[in-house]
Parts: sequence; structure tokens; C-alpha cells
Amino acid sequence: MKTKRPVLGHICSAVGFVLLALLLLLGAGALLRPPQETYGSTWRAYRAEPRNSIDVLYLGSSCAYCDIDPVEIYRHSGLTGYVMGGSEQTMSLTYWYLRQCLETQTPQAVVFEATGVFFQRYQSFTQPNIAYMPFTLNRLGAICTAAEPELRPGLLLDLWFYHDRWKELSPPLLGPSDYKGYTPVEGTAEEIRPDPTSRQLSQEQYQENLSWLLRSLELCRERGILAVVAVNPTYYRCDPEQYRRLGEDLSHAAPDVVFLNWSAAFADLGLEPEVHLYDKAHLNREGAAVFAKGLSDFLTGALDLVPMEQTAPNRTAWDALLTQRSAS
Amino acid sequence: MLFLSGRFFLFWPVTALGYHLVPRRWKAGWLLAASWFFYLCAGAAYFPVLLFVVLSSYAAGRLLERRPRRGLLALAVLLPAGLLFVLKYLTFALELAAAGLAALGLTVSSPALKLLLPAGLSFYVFQAVGYVIDVYRGDQRAQRSFLRHALFLSFFPQLLSGPIARSAQLRPQLESPPSVTWDSLRGGAFRFLWGAFKKLVIADRLALLVNTVFAAPANFGRLQVIGAAVAFSLQIYCDFSAYSDMALGSAQTMGFTLTENFRQPYFSKSIQEFWRRWHISLSSWFRDYLYIPLGGSRRGRVRKYVNLLVVFAVSGLWHGAALTFLVWGLLNGGYQVLGALTAPARMRLRQAVGLREDGRLTALLQMGCTFLLSTLAWVFFQASSLSLAGQVFARMVQGPLWVYASAGVDRWDFLAAAGALALLLAVDWAEQTQPLSQRWLKARGPVRWASALALLLATAVFGCYGPGYDAQSFIYFQF
Repeated sequence: MKTKRPVLGHICSAVGFVLLALLLLLGAGALLRPPQETYGSTWRAYRAEPRNSIDVLYLGSSCAYCDIDPVEIYRHSGLTGYVMGGSEQTMSLTYWYLRQCLETQTPQAVVFEATGVFFQRYQSFTQPNIAYMPFTLNRLGAICTAAEPELRPGLLLDLWFYHDRWKELSPPLLGPSDYKGYTPVEGTAEEIRPDPTSRQLSQEQYQENLSWLLRSLELCRERGILAVVAVNPTYYRCDPEQYRRLGEDLSHAAPDVVFLNWSAAFADLGLEPEVHLYDKAHLNREGAAVFAKGLSDFLTGALDLVPMEQTAPNRTAWDALLTQRSAS
Repeated sequence: MLFLSGRFFLFWPVTALGYHLVPRRWKAGWLLAASWFFYLCAGAAYFPVLLFVVLSSYAAGRLLERRPRRGLLALAVLLPAGLLFVLKYLTFALELAAAGLAALGLTVSSPALKLLLPAGLSFYVFQAVGYVIDVYRGDQRAQRSFLRHALFLSFFPQLLSGPIARSAQLRPQLESPPSVTWDSLRGGAFRFLWGAFKKLVIADRLALLVNTVFAAPANFGRLQVIGAAVAFSLQIYCDFSAYSDMALGSAQTMGFTLTENFRQPYFSKSIQEFWRRWHISLSSWFRDYLYIPLGGSRRGRVRKYVNLLVVFAVSGLWHGAALTFLVWGLLNGGYQVLGALTAPARMRLRQAVGLREDGRLTALLQMGCTFLLSTLAWVFFQASSLSLAGQVFARMVQGPLWVYASAGVDRWDFLAAAGALALLLAVDWAEQTQPLSQRWLKARGPVRWASALALLLATAVFGCYGPGYDAQSFIYFQF
């Protein structure tokens, strides 16, 4: 048995082994994780976007990735964009998403879809919302502050959740997404009415959510990014008093931030609930296209945003997406 | 705190590092504190029971050394054994008594007792009893240091499921705590990893099949039921030997050498040999503290066979308070009695068909027979009742050959289990000449790194754990 090896050598050897093992386990986790191209948390596609090429970043819940179609917004305004939403994305998670998004992009504006302000601390989709984030300090922050304690070990090591997928391995999808984080949903809901009491939460929870939103707004302010907090047209509404209070809290804490309560603005935006709602909470594909016009008008009109200079290949790629959409 | 839990993966390195760093005179104290913390994590309510066993055996050891009286020994044995009986067997005994009285026409309802059954009780009670008998016999001196005695019974790697340590083996290491060496550290970690592979990749995957089929044997065909019985033989070996590997491995990282508990038992050529290679610490405990005191083989052949049956009946009941365990124990004892009675006839048969006594084919046939016999006995061990065991046996010989129903595993699970079992077979074969961790330590650096990383990756990818799995706790935890 060897006994003379210096202690430092042993420590280096042990650390090296642990690091290599971690790398292997993380790599296997990434390989076995199912691809996520729609329904939010589309980090692979987001990171495939050319650096600093996005004019507007959209963050929020399914109301963001179902209602906001960056390609349609590009059609109307020339502004490039990406929806980095997650199903039932909480405001704490939105904060970590924002930080991570700003690692590779410097958008002119960020639109925060505001439903998350009225969510509980933990909603139902923490696992997919965090599991696809790149392994950075932001992901660690999200795991520590936005994930249920029992999910944390698995979120630290993807294999915990996905190791059993070795039976159904498929080749990974490569390249940027055609949808830019948007998820089209088809069809219309039947017999729906506005539901004004759907989101009840405690005062403490509201304050906690608001504090995470304010941290996100502060980060935008530090980076010189315009921030918009928006409530999309929906029949799954909060009490009007909740929206009023949010507007009031924002006007006190972040007066430079624009707050848009479009929850009931269907007619103003050219939307017909019977035609354009997929369900109580989300617009369908046609609805999202109509909403894109209103949102584009706001971005280029009220916010006075002008599309940034794009590289020729990127401009061509966006134009190709428009052509593709028109053809289909 | 389970060995394969996040908390243990924090606890273990901290304990090992602390043990390495603290001054020599504090090492035992550090380990005792860690071990008691480990046990408190298993259930705070269990701790007073452990403390009682530690205190009573410590006092008994000191007293027996001064006055080695039989009465005192009986008291010293009956105290922990009585506690074990009340907590583990009282309900079973009352049920049996009620059933016996009912058979005589007297209707007595057995009270529904909800007694606490502390984790590892059977293991540390046996260890304590072994210690006081050793002191009474003069084989060991009584431990003067309460701290060391408490650590002897509470040492965390062996506390919940053994190996059942013997004073002669562990005490010198507690008197003079061994040092952590680079080889003990990495050798122990590798052994732990091998145990994790056996548990997560093989045992828990086979458990999916075993649990599904044993839950409703009538829903499956003959081949599936036979397959499940064979799978349980392999599952329990992988499960329990995995625990022992993890126990010995974690102790080894701190320089301790615990009793080996398994020596490739399925390579045994007889049931007698099987029991010398399976759960060695328990088998040798029964040999030294029950079989030999009963007279062993010194009082004639009949008495020897009776002693064997008594020992295996007690061994069966040690595993669980149920008739199925009793039958399992008696069956194993019966095999040995039958084996001894038929030995001359079998030898004549081998000679008649031209099989050499030391031939490979003979050995293979004997191993096959031993595996078959132990597999039949394991059916009682796994079945929740005698009637279910009967159903399993009935289904092995009656009904359709195969029924198209989900048996809990798909073809990929089957392939993964088959691959892992092939590796286990190769490793067990190689371990007959040299233990795995020693062989691994002697390998060249790149081979060591590659094998450890491959084993880790295979365990992480092919193991059964995480959400969606009904994680199997170690089978021997219930004892």
C-alpha cells in the first residue's frame, strides 16, 4: 500500500476526482433531461440566440408564453424579442430568470407579465422551470429561494429527476427556436365568464412577491433597461382592488416603471374573448397575433422603442420566420 | 438516517473528517457523539432503549468480571433479551396464544398493542448479550470505559443492521482508535459505492418484479412466479450484502475494520456452507452463544440435529415475529439435517454416475442445488403469510406458463438487471481470491479512476431512486 504520497497530492487527487465525477453526473443529467422547446423555460433556445440581439425580453408565467408572440411583434414593430416564461412562474423565479437572461442579452425593455405577483410562494411547476436553467449562480439562487425544499436535491443534480430516461433517449434538438419562447395554443374556450376571485393570497405572500418584483425592477434600473409590468387580457382575473393596489405600490416604490392593467382591455386591443381566448387565462394563436399588434403599438409608441441594429444573418433569420409564418 | 440519503452524505464526511482531525484522546468521544446523533435521526424515541441496553450491559460486564455467577449472567442476558421480546415478539406471542386458546374452544381476543420497535434493536441486543457472555466466560475483560462500551454498541456503521460486532474484534480498535489513511479512505469509499450499486441498480430493480408478483401470484404464469422467487434470492443478497458493504466501507474510511458479513454465499456447495458464508456475524453468534451451549455436536447425532433445528428456529424468529420466518428458519435447519442424513447416499450416487468429488461439474451441480433450496426457503421469508407462500408454490407448478401482464419491470429493466448481475457474478468470483477494494487499490491509477467513475455513473443512471420510485428501504432494517 502506498503511504508516502504527500497529503497535498491526496487532497488534489480527491478534489479532482470529485470534480470529474460531478462533471460526469451533470453531463449525464443534461443528456437525459427531456428536451423542452415549448411551454416555457426554453433555455436552450434562448442561449442559442445571438448575443445582444434581443430588443425586448418578456418574462412571466404561461400568460406570457401563450399570449406574447415575439415573431408577430417583430412583424408589426421590427423589434426582436424573446419570451422567457415558465409555467406558473413565481416572482422569485422571475428575478433569477431575469438575472440569467441578462448574462447574454442587453434588451432595451423588459416586460414583466404580472400574474406571478398573485401566486403562492411555490406553484406546481418548479421542477421544469428550474431544471432547464443553465448551471450558474442564478440557478443556485433559484434553487435556494424559489424551489420547494424537497425538490432542491434533484434540482442540484438533474439525474435525480431524469436518470430513468436512459430507456427513451432521443437526440438533442439544436439551434434557435422558431417561436422565440412563445407557445401557440389552438382552439377556443366554451362558455367562459370573467372570474374575478380566482387568485386569493395572504398579505404576507403578496408583500413577498412584490419584493421580488421590486428587486427585478431595481436590476433593470441598474442596467438602464426600461421596465414594464403588464397584466394581459384575461378572464382569470384578480379582484380589481388587487390590481389597483399593485399599481399604487409600484407607483410608490418604482415610479419610473410603467404599469399596464390590460386584464379587461379586450375591446381596446381588438380582442374578442369568444374568439381569441383559448381558456379563461390564455389567448389562442389568433388572439396572440391580435394582442401582438396592441403590444407593438405600445412598445414603439408609448415607450418609443426603436429596433436595434442587427447582424445581417440575424435579420435574415427573423425575416425568414415572418415568411414562414405567412406561408403557414 | 439511511445510508443512501442526502443527510448521510453530509453526516459521513463530516464525521470522518472530524475523526481524522480531533486529537487521539477525543476520537472515541467524537465517534460516540456522531453515532448517537445518527441514531437520534433514526428516531429520538429509540434512543432510551439503546441507552438502557448500553447501561445494563456495561454494569453487567463490570459485575460479572468480579462475580461470574450464573444467576447474574441470566439476569444480564434476560434484561436486554426481555426488552427485545416485549418490543418485538409480545404481540406475536399474544396472537399465537389467542389462536391456541381458540383451538381449545376458548375465545380470547389478543390486545392490540402498539409498541415501539427501535431500529437495529435485534442487532445491538445480540451484540450486548455476546459481550456479557464473553465476560462471564472470561474470554474478554469487562470494559472499564463507559464511553468505549457505549461506542462498541452504538458505532453508527453497524448500529442499524450490523454486522453484529464481537468484543474481541472491535474492542482493540476502540481502545486504540485507528488512523485514517489514504488507502483506508478511498478503499472504504469505493466499497461503499459498490454497495450502492448493488442496492440501487440490482436489489431495488428486482424488487419491482418481486413485489408485483408476490402481491398477487395468481395473476401470473408459472415462469413469472419462479422468476420472481429467483429474483428475490438475488434481491435479498444484493440488498443485505450492499448494506454490509456500505457499513464496512464507511467504517473503513475511518480506519476501522468490521466483521465481514458475506463471503459469496451463492457459491456454496451445501446449505451448511451457505450459512457459513451468509450473514456471517449472525451465524457465528448463534454458533458460539446458542448452538455450542446447547451441546453442539458433542452429545450425539440426534441431539445435534435437534440443536440445529432449535438454532435455526430461533434464527428465523430473530428475523421477524411471524410464522413465515419460523418456517423459513426450520426449513434451513431441516435442509442441514436432511443433508447430513443423505450425505452417504449422495456420495454413492455421485460415484455411480461418475462424478468426481472435487470435479467442477459436481461443484456446479451442488451450487445449483443449494441455490434452489435456498430460493424455495426464501419464498417463506418474502411472503407475508403462510397461505401466500402456499399460493406462490402452487402457482409455480400449476396454471399457465406465462400470463401477459405487467410484472413491474420492462425489458430495459430486465436488461439493466441482467447486465448488473453479470458484473456482480464476475466480482463475486474474483473476490474469492481477493476482496474487491484491495484489488481496486492495487490497480493502476487510470484503471482505478475509470472504474470508480464508471461505477458511480452506472449507479446514478441505472439506479432506482428519485421521484416515481417507491424506494425500498433495506430489507434487514425491519429486523
